[in-house]
Amino acid sequence: MECGGPSAEILHRRITPLTGRAAIIGFTGPPGVGKSTLIDAYIGALRARGHTVAVAAVDPSSPISGGAILGDRVRMQRHTGDPGVFIRSVASRGHLGGLSESIHRIVDVMDAAGRDFVIVETVGTGQSEIEIVEIADVCVVVNAPNSGDDVQAIKAGVLEIADVLVVNKADLPLADRTAKQLSSMLKLRRENQDVPVIETVATQETGIDSLRSAIESRIGRSADEKVQRRARRMRRLIAQRAGRMVRDLVLHSAGEEMDALVQAASAGEVDLAAAVRRALKTVL
Amino acid sequence: MTYEAVQLSLPGFDQADRQWGYDYSRQMGKDRVVKNRSGIEIRPLYTPRDWAGERYLEGLGFPGQYPFTRGIYATMYRGRTWTQRQLIGLGTPEDYNQRVRRILDAGATAISLIPCNSGFRGIDCDEVDPVLLGTCGTVVNTTEHMDTALAGVPLGAISTAMNDPSPFTLLAFTLGVAKRRGVPWTSITGTSNQSDYLSHFIANHMFYRLSLPGSRRVLLDHIEFCRKNVPNWNPVSIVGQHMQQAGATPAETMGFTLSTAMQYAQDCVERGMDIDFVLRRFTFFFDISISFFEEVAKFRAGRRIWARLARERLGAKNPASWRFKFHAQTSGVDLTEQQPLNNIARVAVQAMAGIMGGLQSMHTDAYDEAIATPTEETARIAIATQNILREEAHLCDVIDPLGGSYFVETLTNQMEAEIEEVIAKIDDAGGMYKAADAGLVQTMIGQSALAFQEQIESGDQKVIGVNCYQIDESAHRRKPTERPDIERMQEHVARFKAYKDGRSQADVDRALHALARASNSQHENIYERVVLAAESGVTHGEIVRCLRKELGFGHPLALA
Amino acid sequence: MTARTLFPPPRVLVTKIGLDGHDRGSRIVAAYLRDAGMEVIYTPPWQTISHVVKLALEEDVDVIGVSSLATDHLIVPGLLTELRKAGLGHIGLLVGGIVPEDERAALLHAGVSAIFGPGSSREQIVDHVAALAAKAREVLNSHL
Repeated sequence: MECGGPSAEILHRRITPLTGRAAIIGFTGPPGVGKSTLIDAYIGALRARGHTVAVAAVDPSSPISGGAILGDRVRMQRHTGDPGVFIRSVASRGHLGGLSESIHRIVDVMDAAGRDFVIVETVGTGQSEIEIVEIADVCVVVNAPNSGDDVQAIKAGVLEIADVLVVNKADLPLADRTAKQLSSMLKLRRENQDVPVIETVATQETGIDSLRSAIESRIGRSADEKVQRRARRMRRLIAQRAGRMVRDLVLHSAGEEMDALVQAASAGEVDLAAAVRRALKTVL
Repeated sequence: MTYEAVQLSLPGFDQADRQWGYDYSRQMGKDRVVKNRSGIEIRPLYTPRDWAGERYLEGLGFPGQYPFTRGIYATMYRGRTWTQRQLIGLGTPEDYNQRVRRILDAGATAISLIPCNSGFRGIDCDEVDPVLLGTCGTVVNTTEHMDTALAGVPLGAISTAMNDPSPFTLLAFTLGVAKRRGVPWTSITGTSNQSDYLSHFIANHMFYRLSLPGSRRVLLDHIEFCRKNVPNWNPVSIVGQHMQQAGATPAETMGFTLSTAMQYAQDCVERGMDIDFVLRRFTFFFDISISFFEEVAKFRAGRRIWARLARERLGAKNPASWRFKFHAQTSGVDLTEQQPLNNIARVAVQAMAGIMGGLQSMHTDAYDEAIATPTEETARIAIATQNILREEAHLCDVIDPLGGSYFVETLTNQMEAEIEEVIAKIDDAGGMYKAADAGLVQTMIGQSALAFQEQIESGDQKVIGVNCYQIDESAHRRKPTERPDIERMQEHVARFKAYKDGRSQADVDRALHALARASNSQHENIYERVVLAAESGVTHGEIVRCLRKELGFGHPLALA
Repeated sequence: MTARTLFPPPRVLVTKIGLDGHDRGSRIVAAYLRDAGMEVIYTPPWQTISHVVKLALEEDVDVIGVSSLATDHLIVPGLLTELRKAGLGHIGLLVGGIVPEDERAALLHAGVSAIFGPGSSREQIVDHVAALAAKAREVLNSHL
């Protein structure tokens, strides 16, 4: 399922009817904030309530060698022996666009296998990682207090998609300021400002239950809501795939028409918006 | 602090210097750049132009005087030789006792105990496959076991170093034994050799038992308990060994270690302890690599920097607080599995570096250390090495014999600069605790380790028998490895189980309950409860499990 | 197919079972394998055999590298047995570290493919792991 290809597609179609049950929770945030430790504690809280869990932990592959050291599961050691917790380390493999599709398949397998909760963890430093987290039902964005002045590397897109904001390592002195900064940044959002900012100390399991219930309340459990969620997710996936498809088509299409269009746009004879419209007509 | 070369007015000096330079280049042809492990370039010759005795009092001082570069005591080895403190640990408590008695009979005045790996793991001997037990240390899980291990050992008269990380159950068992024998705790001397939890978190996960904040709390409680009840015990040993063994360069190691010392000192002061009291009982523990001059310079620079930090940054008033006391062990990482007898030569060189570096006590590795726990014979050779250096090479006759060498003084200054840079980096990160938590130190060490490995792979750093001068090892059949007798170990485990059945469960439960309560309170001393638990018959594994539950068992960052 | 062109890239578990905790060597090997384009699942020391089996299942690993000091290698045959029982007999397994000469044959006999002592070169290790991964995939694919 990771690899994709025709047999993956066939398999995927077969298991799709079995999916839709699990709640998919995405965790993202800059490196070093304690995401994995937080997820470890969160899993503990879920297991204490008898839920089964699966985790897909995504780490970037080296752009040079293509290899990766997948070390996230190391911080979820506590659950190593627990059959109710399934952890899969996933490398981004260089084509991050493709990753969101394979993640979608991986998540569906975990869902179809009957897990109550499927957790996806990525590092939120790139647009593609943000895409990955978007497929979740609830997006949790994790931060930690910084010794600097600004909230650490919050990309605009990341804040937009957050359903729950976490300030981990809240025992550090600047935690309150970080929480306040996040709250005020939230006010700049266009929609849905009902986003809680939760302070946690993952290593001491403080604030975990608040986190758990905040996530829970945003999942939505009725059959209708599940169908809607599934539809939203599928729409996003189609949009992502469509975007990539168009991108590839435009980049790689040969032929006079496209060449002429590009020339005209470069010379300023056609404005960008018009060029885009014409390009779409040409390739599709 | 940098030293400027002195303007020399020696007539003819410049001319002779230039002549040498010319002769050297002509005869060398193509020269190569040589750097030591800390990255400092080593030139072929050092002259008064590099160092000419300027600022003798400020930079060097006399032995026993600030900044102690030449030695922390006025007499050094001429007065009293370094302590020979060989680490022992193997098999059952009876096995340990046999070895330690022999060592004491042979004249040792200090002993050391290293527990079995299962102990480091935090479990008791009945929780693991017996084939894994007692291979690298002694299995000691109860006061009973310690009593057997130390049978016939005059507890109040000799110094014992316990290689035990937090929560220091080995000392707790020792105190229980002392009580039984009527030996007052005030006469117990020794060191908690592995009290440096930060070094474990960073570089030796095997020794890491409790979460970072939990370890911090238990260490402070341990220091306070010892101050009140075991005043001649050194509860703090700050360890550079693990980081250097993990790949940190000698300069990085010293920098990190001194930063850790400052962190602990600050933590103690925040608790309300007096800085002079605290520093008096600080000791350090280092590895000695085979990079001979670099190690000598590392230790001399370390003494100078620590004196300054203690006096100026930490504000200690008592000169005794400024003294950099350290135990050192010859580095096992430099030893090879191939042609193991060569390791005797390696250990001799490492030991010399330590002696000329001014250590206070030393452990020399046995030549088969890389392969298995030392046998009687190999342990004897390791001690003989020290004796030969002292008696036959007369290394004790002169204090700081390399002092004044143009090279060694220059290198000491350069190492000092590198070490200061590392300390500054840690300062920027907010201190050693934060730096370790954030993974900064681990990253630096990982990079140095990889770089060094690359040098060996490429052949730039030659290792005899490994990447050069290799022989066909299969021609040299080695003796089968000595292991603890598996049947005796199984008997030991069986006796341990019987012991647990026979003790008062009520006492045990009460003690554990008190321990858990202390862990969750702000004001109770956790270590006091550990000692009481040991007296009540609670086992090592039970104590560690309880503390892990209450204080957390954090996982060190696997990879930065 | 050669290991270099394997897709997905070889997935290698680097781990320590038994009681030893020194991991400088296994970290370096993990870095070597990553630089050779492989995906390394890296665990801390003190893994139990049942954990390793669960890990191997969850992560679909091709090769397991066990770092061993002291007597840890004595329980490696036990790990191989459990892997086979779980249907993971196709996974290649190598040992790195110090294994006394007189005990190596027993390990190889139990199914360990190779033992790499200190002084093994980066190339030797990486090539061997790559070969094991290719073989594991072949075996796996032939069952599909």
